[in-house]
Amino acid sequence: MTVDRREFIKSAALLGGAMSVGLPSLSQALTAHGVRPWAYRPETGDVQPQPLRILILGGTGFIGPYQVQYALDRKHSVTLFNRGKTNSTLFPKVPRLIGDRNLPDGHDALRKGSWDVVIDNPTANPTWVRGAGEALKGRVGHYMFVSTISVFSDNSKPLDENGPLNAPSDIDAPFNAQTYGRNKVRCESEAKNQFGDNVTIVRPGLIVGPGDLSDRFSYWPVRIDKGGEILAPGTPNDPVQYVDAQDLCQWIVRLAESRTMGIFNATGPKTPTTIAEMLYGIKAVTTSNATFTWVPAEFLAQKQVRAWSDMPVWVPPMGPTAGFARVNCNKAYNAGLTFRPLADTAKDTLTWYHGRPAAEQEKARAGLAPDKEKTVLAEWHAKQGS
Amino acid sequence: MPTAQAPKRVLILGGTGYIGPHLVEHALSRGHTVTLFNRGQTKPGLFPNVEKLIGDRSKPNGHSALKGRQWDVVYDIPTGTPQWIVDAAAVLKGNVGQYVYVSSTAAYKDFTASFPTEESPAQDPAPIDGPDAASAAYGPRKVRCEMLVRAAYATATIVRPGLIVGPGDLTDRFTYWPVRIERGGEILAPGTLDDPAQWIDVRDLTEWMVRLGETSTGGTFNAVGPRTVCGIGELLYGVKACFSNDAHFTWVPQTFLTAQKVRSWGDMPVWSYAGASTVAFCTSVIEKAVAAGLTFRTLEDTVRSAMQWYHSRPAAEQEKLRAGISPEREREVLALWHASQGGSR
Repeated sequence: MTVDRREFIKSAALLGGAMSVGLPSLSQALTAHGVRPWAYRPETGDVQPQPLRILILGGTGFIGPYQVQYALDRKHSVTLFNRGKTNSTLFPKVPRLIGDRNLPDGHDALRKGSWDVVIDNPTANPTWVRGAGEALKGRVGHYMFVSTISVFSDNSKPLDENGPLNAPSDIDAPFNAQTYGRNKVRCESEAKNQFGDNVTIVRPGLIVGPGDLSDRFSYWPVRIDKGGEILAPGTPNDPVQYVDAQDLCQWIVRLAESRTMGIFNATGPKTPTTIAEMLYGIKAVTTSNATFTWVPAEFLAQKQVRAWSDMPVWVPPMGPTAGFARVNCNKAYNAGLTFRPLADTAKDTLTWYHGRPAAEQEKARAGLAPDKEKTVLAEWHAKQGS
Repeated sequence: MPTAQAPKRVLILGGTGYIGPHLVEHALSRGHTVTLFNRGQTKPGLFPNVEKLIGDRSKPNGHSALKGRQWDVVYDIPTGTPQWIVDAAAVLKGNVGQYVYVSSTAAYKDFTASFPTEESPAQDPAPIDGPDAASAAYGPRKVRCEMLVRAAYATATIVRPGLIVGPGDLTDRFTYWPVRIERGGEILAPGTLDDPAQWIDVRDLTEWMVRLGETSTGGTFNAVGPRTVCGIGELLYGVKACFSNDAHFTWVPQTFLTAQKVRSWGDMPVWSYAGASTVAFCTSVIEKAVAAGLTFRTLEDTVRSAMQWYHSRPAAEQEKLRAGISPEREREVLALWHASQGGSR
């Protein structure tokens, strides 16, 4: 969609000076959130994109702020829509519409105004998509839905975007960790119901980096930084996939700029990567005395050390999860998804983590407890007779 | 960097080559008084505010500029010629508190033996003079130098570094890997992930040497890193983490590489394997040095600094690395390897 210049200036004015957002206030807000401010680094040779009016649903959680920042850096005008509860001091100069998407009239604030593109971040409830679609009907040019690779029903082999999906949930299925993948499938189809062909569906894998409160990736930098003997899962060559939130979010904004529709698996890195590459890559940014003891998947299973939750990022590359960390994302790579060096992700994650309140740092939400790690390592060494 | 509590009078023999300037800079930043002694020919414009004494150590009376002076600590960096130690001692003995000599892990008798400690057998020392002195190998000469230093000075510090890497390294031995990985594509990786690899950042080495002077610590020390026993996989994956491109590794077994005359160290830098004639250089035990204060930068720091320096070199030097397999030969060996595996990639 091309934006008429006069229309653009008018809407920018209406949006309460969103264009004049300055970095200092953003930096403060981000620091309050615990995210380090970052400098505007336009890509080399990148031309200034056509300014867009972007509506971001959510926008103040983990990944949203990266989209907002990048969109502002690239001179787009941004409107946020959320409950006004999460990190409510973020982006004080960005206009914010308030609504609780769980309520029957929750999307009413969206019933006036128009946008070139809407990015829907937090939604795992199909009714939220329907609510947004009904409220925005005819007044957005492009709907981008952040889905998940959990939509796939079969992880036994590497899948591209045409892989088999879970059975969709009912339209009114509430958020539920157990049916998350099914809900997302229904959300994807509801997106097409509401917005027709002008839909982009992005299916990220594990999203990592500063701001990730799930601690799933963060476990590794933090554990490695602590040093000593570390329980490492499976074999060094087991595949892993992850995507830095910054890379993902910047790419989503670029997809908006290029009006790229379609479905995209979106994880990385671009070249197949192993758990050893990831762990040694993280170690390279520390001065830690960490050493890794690789313990086979079967032994971990015997000792109730769970893939993914206890040993984050990793799943055994066999049987029903043989393809889990081999999702085919070539379509996204061809559409411009790029990756920062792992060293940058690891360093930024550590810096962010150490800036969190001590109580949060102590209570990691993923990863093996230190005592359990010691026990399992001792049992493994005993079995090896060493 | 806070200055030392008790500044020392430091004499550096050499000081303008690869590791010398790092040593000078750190000593100055710690508040020590530095004197350089060398021929005045290598990088004469370096450190214009530092006292410079001129002499050619290979000449008779070459050390005479050092006569009648006293220093707390002497660092002897460039010496592989026992006669230089003899001649320096003739002038400096009794006038210096501590003599720090940069030796090498090549001092060990058996390069094929893993995990040398400072107590492991050394090479038979080379003669100081006579018909065989000039043709003696590097290791035996280093051992003779070590012995002469210990005999001449009450506080003798023998530092035995492994592969010294980082900004200024003209051998390209470490630099090969970041340069190759930055180029991307399929990369010939040697042996297995756990095959031993060791190196030391020139800044970690020289900063520690300054501390050894500040603490008047004598003794013999292996000086290499990283802190923990390291495999070539850890190095290559750590280097790769500093970049974002399509670099990926094809690990080719040592036996295949040997059959193709792809050598440890020269063609595949930093890498060694059990029983190789380089394994002592990649498995040195460093607990003594660590106890004496040797610390390590992050690998990322070493990689980024080495690459920043590398990219500042003339284009011709950047194109023609002095170590590592050539791009053509790498492609050839990879093709042969894939063919031997049935052609599947």
